[in-house]
Amino acid sequence: MEPSIFFDEVNERQGVFHRRTFLFGGAIGLGSLALVGRLMQLQVFEAQAYQKLSANNSIRFRLVPPPRGAILDRNGVEIASNRPDFLIMVRKEEIDDPETTIASVAQLLPLAPNRQKQILRQLEITPSAIPVSIATDLTWTEFARVTARLPELPGVTADMGESRVYPFGGAFAHVVGYVSKISQPDLDRAKKASPSGQIDPLLLHPGFRIGKQGVEYALDAELRGKPGGQKIKVDSVGRVVTEDPAGDVRATPGKDVVLTLDADVQNRALEVFGAEAGAAVAMDVHTGDILCLVSTPSFDPNRFVSGVASAEYQALHDFDHQPLLNKALSGLYHPGSTFKTMVALAALEMGFDPKRTYTCHGTWQFGNHVFKCDHHHGTLDLHAAIAASCDVYFYQASLIVGPDRMADMGRRFGLGQKFDIGIPGQKAGIVPDTAWKKRYFQSDPANQKWFAGETPSMGIGQGATVVNALQLCTMAARIANGSHAVSPRLIQSIGGVERPPSAPAVPLNINPEHIQFIQAAMTSVANDPGGTAVKSSQLGLGALRMAGKTGTAQDHAYNGSHGAHGAVGAWAMRDNAWFVCYAPADAPRYALSVLVEHGGFGADTAAPRAREIMKVALLKDPDIRQRIERPLQDPPKADDAQTQTPASLTKSADPSGPDTAEAHP
Amino acid sequence: MTTSALTRPGQRDRLIMKVPEIDWRLAFGLICIAGVGAMMLYSAGGQSWQPWAASHLIRFGICFVLMLVLSLIDIRIWFVMSYPTYGIALLLLLAVPIIGHQSLGARRWLQAGPISVQPSEIMKIGLVLALARFYHGLSAKDAQLSWKLLIPAALIAAPTLLVAKQPDLGTAILVAATGLTLMVLAGLSWRILAAGTLATVVAAPAFILFLMKGYQRDRVLTFLHPEQDPSGTGYHILQAKIALGSGGLLGKGFGLGTQSSLNYLPEKHTDFIFATFAEEFGFVGCAALLLLYGLTIAVALRIAAISHSHFGRLSAAGVTATFALYVMINAAMVMGLAPVVGVPMPLMSYGGTVMVTVMVGFGLVEAVRVHRYSEISSGTGSLLF
Repeated sequence: MEPSIFFDEVNERQGVFHRRTFLFGGAIGLGSLALVGRLMQLQVFEAQAYQKLSANNSIRFRLVPPPRGAILDRNGVEIASNRPDFLIMVRKEEIDDPETTIASVAQLLPLAPNRQKQILRQLEITPSAIPVSIATDLTWTEFARVTARLPELPGVTADMGESRVYPFGGAFAHVVGYVSKISQPDLDRAKKASPSGQIDPLLLHPGFRIGKQGVEYALDAELRGKPGGQKIKVDSVGRVVTEDPAGDVRATPGKDVVLTLDADVQNRALEVFGAEAGAAVAMDVHTGDILCLVSTPSFDPNRFVSGVASAEYQALHDFDHQPLLNKALSGLYHPGSTFKTMVALAALEMGFDPKRTYTCHGTWQFGNHVFKCDHHHGTLDLHAAIAASCDVYFYQASLIVGPDRMADMGRRFGLGQKFDIGIPGQKAGIVPDTAWKKRYFQSDPANQKWFAGETPSMGIGQGATVVNALQLCTMAARIANGSHAVSPRLIQSIGGVERPPSAPAVPLNINPEHIQFIQAAMTSVANDPGGTAVKSSQLGLGALRMAGKTGTAQDHAYNGSHGAHGAVGAWAMRDNAWFVCYAPADAPRYALSVLVEHGGFGADTAAPRAREIMKVALLKDPDIRQRIERPLQDPPKADDAQTQTPASLTKSADPSGPDTAEAHP
Repeated sequence: MTTSALTRPGQRDRLIMKVPEIDWRLAFGLICIAGVGAMMLYSAGGQSWQPWAASHLIRFGICFVLMLVLSLIDIRIWFVMSYPTYGIALLLLLAVPIIGHQSLGARRWLQAGPISVQPSEIMKIGLVLALARFYHGLSAKDAQLSWKLLIPAALIAAPTLLVAKQPDLGTAILVAATGLTLMVLAGLSWRILAAGTLATVVAAPAFILFLMKGYQRDRVLTFLHPEQDPSGTGYHILQAKIALGSGGLLGKGFGLGTQSSLNYLPEKHTDFIFATFAEEFGFVGCAALLLLYGLTIAVALRIAAISHSHFGRLSAAGVTATFALYVMINAAMVMGLAPVVGVPMPLMSYGGTVMVTVMVGFGLVEAVRVHRYSEISSGTGSLLF
């Protein structure tokens, strides 16, 4: 065919080339088939697995912090809630040059050079997926200024987060506690507690705050909630490409916690303390629900949310009135004369004749030691001795009862006990008896014996006996209840689920007549002419009366033989003032214990405050309100008390029955 | 076509007679491939003509015109120019280590004013021409097995070693494979071929372990166990496989490939553009694209087969072999069947140098086609010398 081919040699070359080219084409074909086979393996048989890997590559969830659960009082008033907070954050993975970015933001917001350095350091140590906060709590103007410039600031996000707020300031600071920035120890603990050893990324979010004290600390897990996710598509270096609102996972808000507290009672309690240090606990005598749990002076928990300045913290820490201490739970004090109710009850239960009389001349000699009483009470029976709080009577009665019976009765009424009310920081205190002495002085055999001289001291609530305000309130509540040993409850419900009291109300197993005897004596304290607190305990609420017991507990050994009792001398050397009470006296509803630290006489400083707190509690109770208001429709029946309402907290100029105890040797 | 074979001598040399002889099927195949390439570059550039798609099309247009011009150059001129081209390419390759421009740890470029030249690319054409020129004057017997075969072996070995030294492993492999393919097509004894293959298999492990540069060895070893290093060298392979596999049967759709648009796929617009295509068009699209390449190769091989001159046959086949090897190696590399050696997908991958080489090569193929009846006397060229 081809005119150019004349030689066999040339034909042979061409033939070889044709055959080999054909083979080469075949080899290319086979190679292509192999490639197609590989494509089929990857794109048809293994496609699903690779599609999953592809999605994992690009789909991320950006953490959306959950709103923290609110803390409410029994009436639904917010004690701790959240407010909107404008904040500016920056994500390391989305910025090229942190210094330029921060400098640009600093032109829009006041950022001190130190703060800028701090942010840059934070950016270095934070994992790249976690945003770092530049500024929080911005005003709307500042926020808007940054938001308008966001397109020029890649990696910077403006967000409306939430910040914790405590509307009542210091009123609930000790019970509710506060949230604050998470600390390294918090993180270490979280890491240890986590089964996977991984820290929940929520904890690293700049807006996250962890409960540090009180309810916020104890119920942190319930209040915290579960973070949601904002579905985003990111490229290979983590830059957000698109957002997919349809794929967002909503955050689960934290559970709301309802406390048994009443904000009005709590606020009034804080108010009546003024500048005094002390504690007040009020309780429902039937349920054990705590209406108020106050410790003063207090501090503003709002200052701790965004990080309190160290100077401010130091000032709080160094103040001798100890604002950071929850005195209602952690403060231990001698119960003083309030303990006489227990001594009397123990005596009655062992068959002590309440008609038995002792005569008080102001002192009583035991061995070679002289025990003192504040007054020459004359001859008294048990009822009068309680009402007038005569120490001499109880020195001698306690010798008959003995330490073990007194201690046992105290414990049955809640003294020396910790109650599981759901927040930490409770101290049990001491109710001493012979067994306790053996335990306590294990390494000191000489002191293990119970010395006879210790019994009279214990009989007036001194000696080794130390209790807290919650225990004394529980004691008052159990006396008022009469039949059952109610236990305090602080957490009413979590996320709508009712919480039980700290312990079931078991029967007291006390002779009702004996209880009634004590109740009658406590009513006399607050109402009868000879009562120690008669002037400061008038409620002025019609027929409603209060029953109570004063206590003036010596906190320091007095200098010399002259008693510096009451509100005399330096603040830190004065006596602690107690008043435990319940009301109404005829049908008890609320019990209350008030401590005024170094307040002097219980009747002067503690009882008037107790009266004011109790009035709020009573007036807020609809049943009791009805009892008060009905007499108004019937003027002739109106009580004298209506007219002589003690409107203010005036100190009684002449304490009719202060009770002090001389130190035992 | 047979009629044109009977035209009077001299008639065929007129340009007007040459233009219809250009193989427009081949031209069309090349246009289709470059078009698909531009489309993928448009997608990889974020649905934009910038920065790649537009300049890809412009380059292709210029190269296409160049190819048409080259196809009209008489085959005897190509013949005469073959040794000089090889010689110049070799000199340039020798010059690279001395005056070459260094980038990314390799010396591959020569800078001449505004123009930068990659001598290894000139050598791809030069070697094909030189080998075709040599075999044109060699008897079938000698081509099978004789001492004279040391000459083509040296012609292949010299540039291969120089390119490998730059280092540019991909191009070196390509140059060597093209030369070897040409020797086989010219009639190399099967026994020699078998012995050579055996020797290569034995020597390869030693070569990998002792003679390769660190990163080259890493690439080869990572290819064997990509899962050992998913974020480093294995990342390319893994992400390419994810791109391919997640494309599935029909693909994610044009412009919807997340692997490429979100930059998980490295070199998505150059060496790994086939993975970009595979992610968006799936198995069906890949098979169709391979078919398009296959048809283009078949047309080019057919042009080689019908040439009357041995020089024409071998030079057209050599260029086609280079092109086919590009496609096969790149596809195998992207699919995880071959180590990542930096071989682009011809006419699809973004990059001007390879496109010029390929289109100049196809200019030669078209010239062979246009001048398929021309006779070239063996020995020295009769036209110029």
